[in-house]
Amino acid sequence: MKIGIMSFAHLHAEAYIQNLRAIPGVEMIGLADDDPARGRQFAEQFNARLFPSYEALLNEQPDGVLVCSENANHRPLVEMAAAAGVHVLSEKPLATSLEDAQAIVDACRQAGVILMTAFPMRFSAPLLEVKARLDDGSLGQVYGCSTTNQGQMPIKHRRWFVDRQLAGGGAVMDHTVHLADILRWYLNSEAVEVYATTNRILHADTVDVETGGLIMVTFANGTFASIDCSWSKPLNYPTWGGLKMELITERGLTVVDGFSQNLDIYNQKTPAHYWTFWGSDPNQAMVEEFVSAVRDRRPPRVTGEDGYKALEIALAAYRSAETGQPVRLPLA
Amino acid sequence: MKVGIVGVGFMGTVHAAGWAETPATIAGFVAQQPEHARPLAEKYRAKVFPSFEAMLDEVDVVDICTPTHLHYEQTLNAAAAGKHVVCEKPLARTVAQGQEMIAACRRAGVKLLVAHVVRFFPEYAQAKAAVERGEVGAPAVIRLTRGTFRPKKPSDNWFVDVEKSGGMMLDLMIHDFDYARWVAGEVESVFAKNISSTHPGAPVDYGLAILRHRSGAISHVEGSWAYPPPLFRTRLEIAGADGLLEFDSERTAALTVHLHRRGDDAPDVPLPGSPLLESPYTTQLKAFYRALAHDEPVPVRAEDGLAALQIALAAIESAQTGVAVRLTPLPEVSS
Repeated sequence: MKIGIMSFAHLHAEAYIQNLRAIPGVEMIGLADDDPARGRQFAEQFNARLFPSYEALLNEQPDGVLVCSENANHRPLVEMAAAAGVHVLSEKPLATSLEDAQAIVDACRQAGVILMTAFPMRFSAPLLEVKARLDDGSLGQVYGCSTTNQGQMPIKHRRWFVDRQLAGGGAVMDHTVHLADILRWYLNSEAVEVYATTNRILHADTVDVETGGLIMVTFANGTFASIDCSWSKPLNYPTWGGLKMELITERGLTVVDGFSQNLDIYNQKTPAHYWTFWGSDPNQAMVEEFVSAVRDRRPPRVTGEDGYKALEIALAAYRSAETGQPVRLPLA
Repeated sequence: MKVGIVGVGFMGTVHAAGWAETPATIAGFVAQQPEHARPLAEKYRAKVFPSFEAMLDEVDVVDICTPTHLHYEQTLNAAAAGKHVVCEKPLARTVAQGQEMIAACRRAGVKLLVAHVVRFFPEYAQAKAAVERGEVGAPAVIRLTRGTFRPKKPSDNWFVDVEKSGGMMLDLMIHDFDYARWVAGEVESVFAKNISSTHPGAPVDYGLAILRHRSGAISHVEGSWAYPPPLFRTRLEIAGADGLLEFDSERTAALTVHLHRRGDDAPDVPLPGSPLLESPYTTQLKAFYRALAHDEPVPVRAEDGLAALQIALAAIESAQTGVAVRLTPLPEVSS
């Protein structure tokens, strides 16, 4: 099976290229990028073939592509891939507007190609364990959840992450969709209301997008859940950030941390101590699921519709932050 | 200085132990059923007063450790008799009651001290001091969690009677509403959700509130009477423009004991905290003693108690109405 990567704008492409190469039977055919310098840099770094254009990559007739362009630039690349009959794994958020997200979903449906949204936390072993316990009834009904997906301000990775146009916003757009997706998955219920408040006190001198955000999502089944999407981890924090959830259920309290499986390392030559993750790699499992869905011609475990629904919650958060009151869903 | 303690439940017992560490004298106790006061009276060689009125003649300070709905009337009576008042949190059941209590104490020329004991817990006090020193810069996103099981009572469990206690969001979350305001300043709006409003049949209390401060800071406050006993956890996180400050009671546990269970051996009312040489309740009462004896300032004013009450009631209103509630500045607080 042949898989290519369209754009290295998103840093996750740096992980996915290695994930692809680790899968037996998958040929990572190479990458294309609309930024020639970036394309050359990563083609060289990963010793991969650089196609002169996206068209050239698609002419190679890959079975699937990973779309890792800037958030606002997913749509043209997905539409190009779908038109070529190529299956798509798109980086999250699926788009920066519901119009684009719907166009992406429609293009893939009409072309009959698989569309998967890159929500790696669906493949996190600790989070999967909670899903299994929710589904087998051992935790009982979920009443409320307090969740956090906090991180460092990501400007050091890519400048466009803090560009309102290309990223679609700041911390809310960057960090809300992961937990929005996990909550929908856990609760088997859709969001009906979103409240949010945001600010820009952290990194106020560096960026002009929101850096702090607190969101409350209410689901059709009555469960309410808060999401902290803030870029509130300092630049000298031991790791990039984290994702934690606390669930209040009929049976008590369940706490799950997607990134606690770390070693603490203290090296005398570096000023701060740091963590290294030893848990199972959710990215690897996610990319394998895409490959497996393409191979079996079946819907993937996370779809384009899931990407649309999670984006809708993030966009509702922006609308609520503007008005100061909760917003009803669906938005469209 | 002679102190009369009203209420001999969990908090009356804790306050008695605190007062015993000060130069004040515990004159005696008042209880709904006087025989319930006898053990404490014997322990502190103090009286059992037959009534609240009988106590007023023999004390300088009235320490109110009764259920929340009684604070209002007892404070007014103590003030009318010219006695200083120490009042457990929440100050009252309604903002109007709290305003009247403050006015009555001002008119009578007596002090009104509200026992927001969290301000005296060393981890919380130190975090506030670190913020004041600018160690994390201007507060941006604050997260506060206080969670445990639903308090029990041998009889007449006023904690779960919303009319009397105001429920978990008033009784428990007020600690962190007060703390959030202490750290990040006045609150301008509150949005909250809780279980009792969304799951009327649920045998637990759980609430989440999002506060927006006038400074632009935002706070997430989580309160729970939904954990299985004997779990009690508190957490605090202040992310500021220059850094992050974290406290987690589980991560900093200085003592962990795992015992084989013998039946239901959880206490009726959980007592938070790490082993310390001085209980924060004692630290608080020592500060109150100095304030009363030497007119020293305390880190919590009656107006702070009123402001915390207003935030908690706004959170309850938001959870009931489903909309964000804007707070009207209170003349007592802004003056």
